[in-house]
Amino acid sequence: MSTKTTEGTPPPTRRGRRTSGVGRVHPLVALLWLAPALALILGVVLYPAVKLFDASRGQYSITGLRKGDAGWDNYANVLSHPDLGTVLRNTVVWVVAVVAITIVISLALAQFLVKSFPGRRFVRWAVIVPWAASLVITSQLFVLLYDYNYGIINHVLQGIGLIDQPIDFLGNDSWTMFSMVVVGVFVSLPFTIFVFIAGLGAIPDDVIEAATVDGASPWQRYWNITLPLMRPALMIATVLNVIYVFNSFPIIYTLNDRNPGYLHDTTITFMYKLAFKSQEKDVGMSAAAGIFNVLLILVVVAVYLKIINWREETSR
Amino acid sequence: MSWTKKSVVVAGLAVAGLALGACGGGTGAGSAGAGGSTGGGQEAKTIKIVAAEYSKDHTKAFWDAFAKTYKEKTGYTLEVQVVSWDNIDQQSSTMIQNNQAPDILNLNAYASYAKDGLLYDSDAVLPAAVKGDILDTFVKYGTYEGKFYGFPDLSSARAFFYNKTLFKQAGINEPPKTWAELEADAKKIAATGNVGYALPLGPEESQGEFSMWLFNNGGTWKDAGKWTINSDKNVETLTFLKKLTDAKLTQNNPARTNRADAFDLFKSGKAGMVIGFSPLAADLDKSKKVDYAVAPFPTNDGSESKTFGVTDYLMAFKKPGNEKAVKAFYELYYQPDQVNTFIKAEGFLPVTKSGVGAFAGEGKLKVYLDTLPNAQLTPTDDPTWDKVKLAVQQNLGGAMSGDPKAVLDKLQQTAETTK
Repeated sequence: MSTKTTEGTPPPTRRGRRTSGVGRVHPLVALLWLAPALALILGVVLYPAVKLFDASRGQYSITGLRKGDAGWDNYANVLSHPDLGTVLRNTVVWVVAVVAITIVISLALAQFLVKSFPGRRFVRWAVIVPWAASLVITSQLFVLLYDYNYGIINHVLQGIGLIDQPIDFLGNDSWTMFSMVVVGVFVSLPFTIFVFIAGLGAIPDDVIEAATVDGASPWQRYWNITLPLMRPALMIATVLNVIYVFNSFPIIYTLNDRNPGYLHDTTITFMYKLAFKSQEKDVGMSAAAGIFNVLLILVVVAVYLKIINWREETSR
Repeated sequence: MSWTKKSVVVAGLAVAGLALGACGGGTGAGSAGAGGSTGGGQEAKTIKIVAAEYSKDHTKAFWDAFAKTYKEKTGYTLEVQVVSWDNIDQQSSTMIQNNQAPDILNLNAYASYAKDGLLYDSDAVLPAAVKGDILDTFVKYGTYEGKFYGFPDLSSARAFFYNKTLFKQAGINEPPKTWAELEADAKKIAATGNVGYALPLGPEESQGEFSMWLFNNGGTWKDAGKWTINSDKNVETLTFLKKLTDAKLTQNNPARTNRADAFDLFKSGKAGMVIGFSPLAADLDKSKKVDYAVAPFPTNDGSESKTFGVTDYLMAFKKPGNEKAVKAFYELYYQPDQVNTFIKAEGFLPVTKSGVGAFAGEGKLKVYLDTLPNAQLTPTDDPTWDKVKLAVQQNLGGAMSGDPKAVLDKLQQTAETTK
């Protein structure tokens, strides 16, 4: 930091304070520059969080009218809800399946997209489309594709002769999670592919060349050199995908539009349905579920980061 | 390390912020009827209506024209907001949470709002002549605890639609009059590779479909103040529907089919029978693809067919100073040239005695009009019904793959334990 310090001199009493005038700014001026961002965070993040907590401690009528205080009852009601176990299990399966499958496929596709071939630019643009299109539109499209009576997928499968009766992709309980995961992977691929393309681009060529010269097979090269060097990209992709997929509402809500109850819901759609569609129709319970959701994702991300850091320490 | 200390400070601030906010009593704790845009004692010159979107073409056009007439005749301004049926429930719930309820709300329920003390009753805002003109059955179901709160905007009655082409193909000469005949006819149609009876028991409106069936087996939702959801007759009805499903006489997976899907099957000529209403008839007439006819719904034992009627409500929220403007609104809305124009444009049925007379000339609607004054409705005058309706929507379809009696028992329990 400071180039003027020599051996034996005591460290500066205020850490980080530079002795030169450049870069020193009066605290109030700093506040002025920060004000827009602070206002945004206060208004869009902190204030709704406070109101959410406030709502979770209120008792609400079915019309939405706040009738008084509920203490911690809403939290107790959420925790004792009979479908909570199903919802939690669905959430775990949904997040793990979508993130894992997305990462595996993206690694392969990114590998392909860094090679140069004619038309590569167009393929890269085409890959962006599922991400650019609104999730609601994509989900509605898949609802039509999966339809039992009129869907193209059933039509094609029956035409080829693979199946003789149409598959009820969305209504048959054993197929629903699979159908949801397909859509989830479809919309998560573009972002992950591009993160990995960037990650692959950061790997220096001479390391790979050295390995080739030493006689490493392509698989050994990939497993022992490329993947470890992709660790930062993998970490970013995993954390961000876990957060996006956990928070994903439109896909699950739209695909389950005709499905009653909570059989295939994740905690996010569960929270929404508690407020507006379920037989409980209780805003207070929904707010309590919302608080749980925030805590859940914070815990997951914190745990994940802790594990990664731990690995970084031991790998030195 | 500095990172840990900083994060502890940030986390501490966040928790402190949340705790302060919650302990502060909550700004949303407004009581019923609070929060108008006018000051106390001041008369409101502008009122707002949140209307449900019955159709893309007609609803907004009608309300905009109505607002213009309203301004000319009374001098008050009417703000119109049209919301799709898909999320009008969510939007109205949000508005009430924020103490920003509109002055008039167009919804398919009213009793819970009346129970919360949010509404004006007819003595305050409905001219006596209008109340006398509204059909008695609608006044009955719009009355909560002796006061008339739920003013109907339009009504619909369900009827039995059948596909004449498919009937002829299957060798059936006339529409079924009993359930046994319906089952036999469905079997014949299913044998030709089509859907015998399109049964929508999905979460959108399974209570509507089930209502038509149970009324025609002599069952009821509520009788003399007591819930009768799991009566023997209703269990018999639901078991019959399960029988139809198991024998594959309906389309695939009725528990996951909504009305729109059932209508699509009928409109594309793939289903032999369905319960429909006048907008479906209007669609079929426009596309001219299906040779269909309407008949009274078959009853289990062949006795007289019962009509299932549905009405939506235009309820008035109590806000300081808006009583006069709201009263002027209803006076204008129930003028025959206003209310009947709206109903005719949307293809529904009248709600007033004068309206029934005015519609008498419409041949297509005769089969509904004759039975409308005696239509049976779901118990919308009971706030508990609002909750039971949601429970039915989420659970009734489950009987198709489970036990009908258990499902109805659970619904009965929900109805009886709701306060």
